Amino acid sequence: MTSSNVSRRGLLRTAALGAGTLALGGGLSACGSGSPSSSADALTYWDWYVTQAPWVDKEIDLFEKGHSGVSVKKTTQQNAKYADLVALANRSGNPPDVFMIPQVPSVAEQVAKGWLHPLDEWATPAWQSRFPEGTFLEGANVFDGKVYSAPLKGSGPLYQLYIHHGVFKSAGLTNPDGSVKIPRTWDEVTSAAQTITKKSDGKSYGLGFGNADGIGVLAWWLDLFVRGAGAPGGAPTGAGTGLDYRVGKWTYGTDRSYADFLELFVEWKKRGFFHPNSVSLSDEAARAFFERGKFGMTVGGVWNQPEWTQHKFTDYSLVTLPSPTATPKGFYYADPVGNGSFAAVSAKSKKAHEAFQWLDALTSPAAGRRWVEDLNGVSAYPAGNDPDGIDSKPFAAFVGMTRQVLRGPVPLVRNPELAGVAPGAPKPDISDVVTGVYTGQIKDIQRALSSLADKKYQLLSDAVAAVAKQGKKVSMSDYVFADWDPTKPYTTKKKA
Amino acid sequence: MSLLDTRERRRASPPPPPVAARPGLGRRIRAAKWSYLYLAPMAVLLLAFVIYPIFASFGYTFYHWNGIGEPGDYVGLANFRQILHDGIFWGAVRHTFVYAFVLVPVQLLLALALALVLNNPKLKFALFFRTVYFIPVVTSAAVVGVVIQLMLANFGDSAGSLLAKTGVTDGHIDWLGDPHTALAVIIAIGIWHTLGYNLVYFLAGLQTIPAELYEAAKLDGCGPVQSFFRITIPMLRQVGVVIVVLAFIGSFQVFDLVQVLTGGGPYFATEVVNTYIYHLAFGGSAGAAAQPDIGLASAASFLYGLLLIVFSALQVLALRQISRRRTAAHQ
Repeated sequence: MTSSNVSRRGLLRTAALGAGTLALGGGLSACGSGSPSSSADALTYWDWYVTQAPWVDKEIDLFEKGHSGVSVKKTTQQNAKYADLVALANRSGNPPDVFMIPQVPSVAEQVAKGWLHPLDEWATPAWQSRFPEGTFLEGANVFDGKVYSAPLKGSGPLYQLYIHHGVFKSAGLTNPDGSVKIPRTWDEVTSAAQTITKKSDGKSYGLGFGNADGIGVLAWWLDLFVRGAGAPGGAPTGAGTGLDYRVGKWTYGTDRSYADFLELFVEWKKRGFFHPNSVSLSDEAARAFFERGKFGMTVGGVWNQPEWTQHKFTDYSLVTLPSPTATPKGFYYADPVGNGSFAAVSAKSKKAHEAFQWLDALTSPAAGRRWVEDLNGVSAYPAGNDPDGIDSKPFAAFVGMTRQVLRGPVPLVRNPELAGVAPGAPKPDISDVVTGVYTGQIKDIQRALSSLADKKYQLLSDAVAAVAKQGKKVSMSDYVFADWDPTKPYTTKKKA
Repeated sequence: MSLLDTRERRRASPPPPPVAARPGLGRRIRAAKWSYLYLAPMAVLLLAFVIYPIFASFGYTFYHWNGIGEPGDYVGLANFRQILHDGIFWGAVRHTFVYAFVLVPVQLLLALALALVLNNPKLKFALFFRTVYFIPVVTSAAVVGVVIQLMLANFGDSAGSLLAKTGVTDGHIDWLGDPHTALAVIIAIGIWHTLGYNLVYFLAGLQTIPAELYEAAKLDGCGPVQSFFRITIPMLRQVGVVIVVLAFIGSFQVFDLVQVLTGGGPYFATEVVNTYIYHLAFGGSAGAAAQPDIGLASAASFLYGLLLIVFSALQVLALRQISRRRTAAHQ
């Protein structure tokens, strides 16, 4: 071997090593400044909050001022990839110190995989007592008696009917005092939609939505309108949700509210009340169309409001639970399980104490009130949900609606062993069925609803059976609360 | 030497040339080492990103797996059973075949007609027109989809309302939201988007036909129609077969246009197999609640792959049969 050969090979090896190092360095830097390994001193924190980022940043500032020597390095990940990124970070042994808990896998699985740090060392009974009663639930944020997380958000009515004042006034839908005549029943919505469509001469429509994104917008309509009609399960799109706990089943086929509303929905379409491009409009475009008065009413959530506020459009009202009669027969129900686990401290964190302090700050009553004041949603603390002091009138109206959210049955409270039950979602699901009914692709509404209810029940039964097979004492009867009156708050008792 | 001698010598077969021993495989590889070296990067990429995933995803078909962590929930052939009994899958197969069997003939006819026009040496600005027809090809399908969606739905005064106002359509049609029109719109855009490819292929084919053939045909009294059927079509047959095969392969890969324009909706009215597989693997379909299931998506991919193999085999057999018949007819 000549010296020339050696040097050439060495040169190649060095070049390859250099290129690899550069690529790795580039790759790491491409991962963003929030890569956990890139900041040795700061606490690393991951979330997927984009519109809520100003609130997070404000909380970081306040926390750093109150805890000298501790800094927080936030990385906002893409929502759609968040679960994958957290899983990958944990698999590579390099997770952030604190992270918002991803929806997949379930919290129970994340605890079982050893991703989360138990908080008992700091989450003393005194600390827990600052939260409302019933916050810490076995199977939701407590596993084997150990606390793993705490809530930030409270429960508000998920969907509302938004009413454009300008369109209503142009159509003459006003009270004698000049205020807008707010529709609160199915008939009033029909009448208002008819008046707007007729009087605007094609410039506006009574109703509109944007269904193109595949986010289940049409299920929102069904959910909002059937609850008040006495179907307490509504039509949520999450897997395993929407049961009528009085019978422990999906009642799409047996409760006539569903078919009645869908028939009314189709009738609205046939009479030309809907903006004709609604099916192919994006949700974003529908929001802009509503703002410009292309239609007078739409269904959405509180997430609509920040954009309208940003555009200085506040000339609208919102109501929830429009019903066949003036008094709703069903409501929205609090979700202590879904809201209970906001963020967690990583089991791998080398600064677990400081990490808990940051989690503590994020879930404090003061941070909760700021969450509300920044128009992000409602707080886990009822005292933080005071409409007074909120600048935005529509948002204050939403916060005031938390009174229409009742405490309902929580199967997990009665039997914590249900925590491992993870039913699949059928395809087509309820949002697809409503779309099919609206476009005329589904003619037999009753049959489609009954078939879907059966499929969902079967999927839940299979999931329960799978957990029972592991030796857990679970059954479908755990989902039945025969003594529940959907019009009254309900306290779930633990299984004897 | 007599003449007879010469004849005899001619009749005798010449001795066979000495057969050189065939070099061994290793020697042949060494001899062509540079060729193999140049081919290696592409072969490695093909192995890593095409061949390996095919076999790896086959393994996933036996699991229920959301793509996070290791697949552990073994379900045997349940994924295949579920796909085979899923009406949405068969609907997606139907839509894919409708897309391909409408798009390919219409597009090829249009491309051939345009190629004939653009091949005319007397045509002014031929290069400009070629560029104009080729521009859609170099435009991303996703961008095309977004622009068309803006025009048909998301603008304040969409094309639908303009067509209704001008009386072109009877009332406002939600072109992408109506199950009767959505797939037709996608096919029309698909035809326009990739027309340029086939136009260029046909132009290349037309330019290989010697001009003398047309001149001779003209002298023999052939008109343009006869020249087209007697010269152009037969001379384009070879390249035409390749164009048809490529056009079908391309149209079976339809994904981005559908995903951007309709996401497979409304109510699966435009779901094609590739969007169906994507929605199974990554969720986010018209059924927003559907959970990602890589195992199910892999099973669907596998079954669709089998279907395409069967279709390709039938296509080859059909083309071979046509070719044999034509050869027999000419003899």
